[in-house]
Amino acid sequence: MGRVILDNVVKRYRDVVAVDHVSLTVEEGEFVALVGPSGCGKTTTLNLIAGLLELSEGNIYIGERLVNDLDPKDRDIAMVFQNYALYPNKTVYKNLAFPLQMRKTPKDQIDQRVRETARLLSIEPLLERRPKELSGGQQQRVALGRALVRNPQVFLMDEPLSNLDAKLRVQMRAELKRFHQDINATIVYVTHDQLEAVTMADKMAVMSGGLLQQYDAPDIVYNQPVNTFVAGFVGSPAMNLLSATVEVDGDTTWLRNGNDWASALDAKRGAIAQSASTDAVIAGLRHNAIHLSPTETPGAIPVRIYTVEPTGDLTFVHGYLGDLLIVASVPPGTQMHPDDIVWATFDLDQMHLFDGVTQMALASEA
Amino acid sequence: MSAITGSQPTTEPPAPEERGPGLAGRIAALPGDIARHWSDYLYILPALGIMLVVIAYPIFYTVRLSFYSTPANLAMDDKIWIGLDNYRRILTSDSFRSVTRNTLEWTVFSTFFAYVIGLGAALVIQREFPGRSIVRGVLLIPWVISYVSAAYIWKWLYHSDYGLINDTLIRLNIVDQNINILDNIHRALPALIIANIWKEFPFAMIMLLAGLQGVPDQLHRAAKVDGAGTWARFWHITMPQLKSVSVVTILLLMLTNLNSFTLVWVMTGGGPAGSTDIWITQIYQLAFGRTRFGVASAYSVILFLIMMALGYFYVKALTRGDAEREGA
Amino acid sequence: MSSNYERTAGSRKRLDAWGIAGWVFLLLLLVFTVVPLAWMLSTALKTQLGALQFPPRWIPTNPTTENFRMLLDPNDDIGRRFLRYMLNSLWVSTATTVVGVLVAVPAAYAFSRFRFPGRNSLFYGVLLRNMFPAVIFLIPLFILMRNLRLVNSYGSLIITYLTFGLPLSIWLLKGFYDNIPVQLEQAARIDGASRFQAFIRIVMPLSAPGIVATAIYSFILAWNEYVYALTFITDDRKLTVPVGLQRFFSEYVANWPGLMAAAFLMSIPVVVMFLVLQKYFVRALTEGAIKQ
Ligand SMILES: Nc1ncnc2c1ncn2[C@@H]1O[C@H](COP(=O)(O)OP(=O)(O)OP(=O)(O)O)[C@@H](O)[C@H]1O
Ligand SMILES: [Mg+2]
Repeated sequence: MGRVILDNVVKRYRDVVAVDHVSLTVEEGEFVALVGPSGCGKTTTLNLIAGLLELSEGNIYIGERLVNDLDPKDRDIAMVFQNYALYPNKTVYKNLAFPLQMRKTPKDQIDQRVRETARLLSIEPLLERRPKELSGGQQQRVALGRALVRNPQVFLMDEPLSNLDAKLRVQMRAELKRFHQDINATIVYVTHDQLEAVTMADKMAVMSGGLLQQYDAPDIVYNQPVNTFVAGFVGSPAMNLLSATVEVDGDTTWLRNGNDWASALDAKRGAIAQSASTDAVIAGLRHNAIHLSPTETPGAIPVRIYTVEPTGDLTFVHGYLGDLLIVASVPPGTQMHPDDIVWATFDLDQMHLFDGVTQMALASEA
Repeated sequence: MSAITGSQPTTEPPAPEERGPGLAGRIAALPGDIARHWSDYLYILPALGIMLVVIAYPIFYTVRLSFYSTPANLAMDDKIWIGLDNYRRILTSDSFRSVTRNTLEWTVFSTFFAYVIGLGAALVIQREFPGRSIVRGVLLIPWVISYVSAAYIWKWLYHSDYGLINDTLIRLNIVDQNINILDNIHRALPALIIANIWKEFPFAMIMLLAGLQGVPDQLHRAAKVDGAGTWARFWHITMPQLKSVSVVTILLLMLTNLNSFTLVWVMTGGGPAGSTDIWITQIYQLAFGRTRFGVASAYSVILFLIMMALGYFYVKALTRGDAEREGA
Repeated sequence: MSSNYERTAGSRKRLDAWGIAGWVFLLLLLVFTVVPLAWMLSTALKTQLGALQFPPRWIPTNPTTENFRMLLDPNDDIGRRFLRYMLNSLWVSTATTVVGVLVAVPAAYAFSRFRFPGRNSLFYGVLLRNMFPAVIFLIPLFILMRNLRLVNSYGSLIITYLTFGLPLSIWLLKGFYDNIPVQLEQAARIDGASRFQAFIRIVMPLSAPGIVATAIYSFILAWNEYVYALTFITDDRKLTVPVGLQRFFSEYVANWPGLMAAAFLMSIPVVVMFLVLQKYFVRALTEGAIKQ
């Protein structure tokens, strides 16, 4: 197993910069999830690591080697493709054997490795079938098997679970995680499903528009998003981002949005808010940082309910705060109905503050 | 269907460094672009080389020759520049008009019937029935055998004294004694067209059959659920799906027919009295019968221009799918 | 070849008017197709005298295989010539096919996968060949071949036939390659294959129906070609069958049974080949050429 280093990696297509000066290090044995919205450059990054695309700028190291000019076959990596890319004219057995054949492994060893891998993934009964005779989940396992059958330094996976149904996805998620722990593999895993990232990865790299936005452990990314993009992207439902102006009134610092709402900050947050480059800030509040109550309390802000979504564990309430649609959660069974007016208070401890101009997080809330 | 979707269409994307999409920028970067892709050209070089020798040079040569009067002994060094005289001579001659009319009749009727019969055959053949692939195979035989064989078979069928067609016509009481078919100026061309349809409809059939297999089952099921009858489904689902295949097929048929030499040449040689002479047999006669290469070349150029117009639609029809996919 | 909406429940049992019309049409079409072919065979089994009868008979009164024997007997003068024509045709067609595939495969692959400048124009340029009348090229090529002293050589025919087959071959194969996901090659390269190996081991097998179809197409085209062979080859020993057939029987004008037997024999190779491989051909057209 080896580590992967991306050093100021750039990839340009004809008129787009698909990957823009991305630098990150994946340590040996780490499971890194690459997340971001569609078209942000995840696949491109992965293909650059794999050597399927040529770099425009920058360096990539795998293990101790600079691999910029190496062919994919010489990089000692394995890859699981989004659509599996199983060889349709080969049986499962031959699909698994192919990487070994290409490396001139002796026949008996091939057979042994293939059967071992098949056992590991419980696809032994399928060995003589062809890919189109397999279900999605089985194909996925074979794709994984084709990567596992060798012992590469790094595994690259491009949305390997995206074609599966929800139940299978949860199951495969657990299997993948277990597999990572068992063989302590270095894995770079592309997904646009951040739940996958949060549940499986040691670290999460959030990309947007070809730029690396944040690279950290999932809970840090979740709890300390570096900018409004990460804040809005990570977590479901998305964080509520309320723009406001900072007003200082004697000792108290207020956040105000026109006539819609105002909220007083404590001293610490007041100072943070005042450190913004202008008086424009953005307050970030996750659904659980907004408390809704049917009765008016001092300082509470009226919210007109738009819709109510019970999900079992929590009930999400969408409502208009001024003309911004926000989402908050309430315990299940709470009686709230569309068009009711309810009263919102903000949990200051869980409030994130961002600069209204640069969109960057203000100070750290740790 | 297409497994190559948006995000990863190529293994070898172009990577021109730092430049906007402007045309000037593109042109400026072209040499670099070409240099970067030099190895790609190796793949198509053999194909292009062959095509160039056998196409580009001949076109050039034909156009040049069309402005000359050439000596009958093919000593090309003695040719004389006569400008547009060859063209003038052709376009004002009586034969040009009749030959053009024959060509149009030949092309239009052959194409139309070959397409319609081919479509009918494709629709029937795509049903599942025992012996289907045998029937399909048998129907394809006329297309596979050579035009020369087909020409002799039909020439023999049409034989005025011993032909099967005459016999059949008499048995059916359509005529009461043997008639001339290929030797009659009114019957020869229709007779040739029938033979040509026999030879060509399988091509239309196989193209349309392939097209039909691309029509998703789901659509037909959905339409059935919506209460559409056979005719409605044919008209609203099958035909629209076959549109692009049909365009390509019809164009290819027209091009084949305009190019069709062998059947006419072997069966009638353009006769009797020029009643089956079409452009292509006319050109051949001018060039190799009377060794008037200059006039024949001018004739070719005229034909060439007409073909270019058709070819424009042909390439458009062929590449429409590609252009849509790439958006460029 | 599975998809077929007619198989959905119900429609099969109920024979509606359209269904009956379809069967009748098919029957008539089969008659139209088969009668000339059967007549060829029937005539080929007649004696010269037996063919010149009116009304003609379907079943020959004195059936004879003499015509076939004559054509296939290497000791017979006619047989020797006919067999030589067949061999000439076989050689020209095979060479055209092999070279055609070797040239078309890389070109189609490049047009499908690479994005080099001028790719589209070059592709259309290749396709354009299909619409030029053969005769346009006949005159200049004849003069060219004369100047190159290639008249009466197989090379002149092979290179010409190549250009007939290439446009469609390249177009068809490109369609195939377009439909093979790039990811398969990428996977192969990650699995340790070089680009070339990925092509040979993964892409080639998947495009096999296309290659088979292109090969049949080139072969049949070359086997059946007439005008160029008529013009470029004057040496009787080098004639290909279609022209040979004509030259040869213009010497024996009225020998219809012989002519039909020869036409029958020369059709056998291509018909058999095509019937055996027709499923590839249909598949190639479906998968390669006709994209929705
Ligand atoms: N061959 C190409 N030519 C030009 N632009 C491309 C090419 N491939 C990708 N791009 C562009 O590069 C950007 C990044 O693409 P990429 O495939 O890496 O996105 P992604 O993050 O994987 O998205 P998704 O989640 O949809 O798979 C996109 O804007 C895309 O349009
Ligand atoms: Mg992607």
